[in-house]
Amino acid sequence: MADDNKRLIWFFGRECPHCRQLHPVVDKFIEDTGIEIVKLEVWHDDKNAQLMRSHGDVIADACGGSLGVPAFYNERTGKAICGARIDADRLQKWANG
Amino acid sequence: MTLVKKFWRCHICNDIHYGVKPPELCPTCGAKNAFVLCDRNEAMQIMASADYSISTPAEVAKAWIDLTAKSDFELWDDSEAVKTLSEGVLENNRNKGLKYCPCRITTGDKEKDLNIVCPCNFKAQKTWKEYGECWCGLFVRRK
Repeated sequence: MADDNKRLIWFFGRECPHCRQLHPVVDKFIEDTGIEIVKLEVWHDDKNAQLMRSHGDVIADACGGSLGVPAFYNERTGKAICGARIDADRLQKWANG
Repeated sequence: MTLVKKFWRCHICNDIHYGVKPPELCPTCGAKNAFVLCDRNEAMQIMASADYSISTPAEVAKAWIDLTAKSDFELWDDSEAVKTLSEGVLENNRNKGLKYCPCRITTGDKEKDLNIVCPCNFKAQKTWKEYGECWCGLFVRRK
């Protein structure tokens, strides 16, 4: 199935405090649900930044107008969630599409 | 209408202003109506003579604190987060040329990316309107 290659991606920044706070939340979510989320750092890896920019319109919209981190992008649904106020419930809804 | 910013030089003390029009009073020497239009080269030469930089996390944090002193916003009370952010803007300054917000990302459009140099125009952001804080939480509405 084509969807097998579609990833759930978390774009984060190494020096973003909200991203730091989210790491244990995301790790626990992955552990509890078995759902895989790929973590991509965007300030120190141009390839990751470029990938994030390629989904720029959707992510910027989710971030309130500009590209920001933490941002989560679902390649299957093309939907994104963004910002500091993300918890396991929001992750679950985003992952489910 | 596009507003075109230009350089202006106080002919009394060589203060430089970059804007659509010059200030009526020079903020440095107090002279009235003393600014004359100057070109980029002249402005850059004068500014290049200023021998200082903001290159440590403490210096970055001090500039932020000074900005909040007479404002209706203050710094996030999480000193560790403030330190992380100050290190982040310096890292971005080293790698990308300007103190970009570590919680945003550049688009590659230099003009557009000026909007994410920290501190940015955060009161225009959704998070300020909804939660009273900038995107990264560095500046929060004063209680």
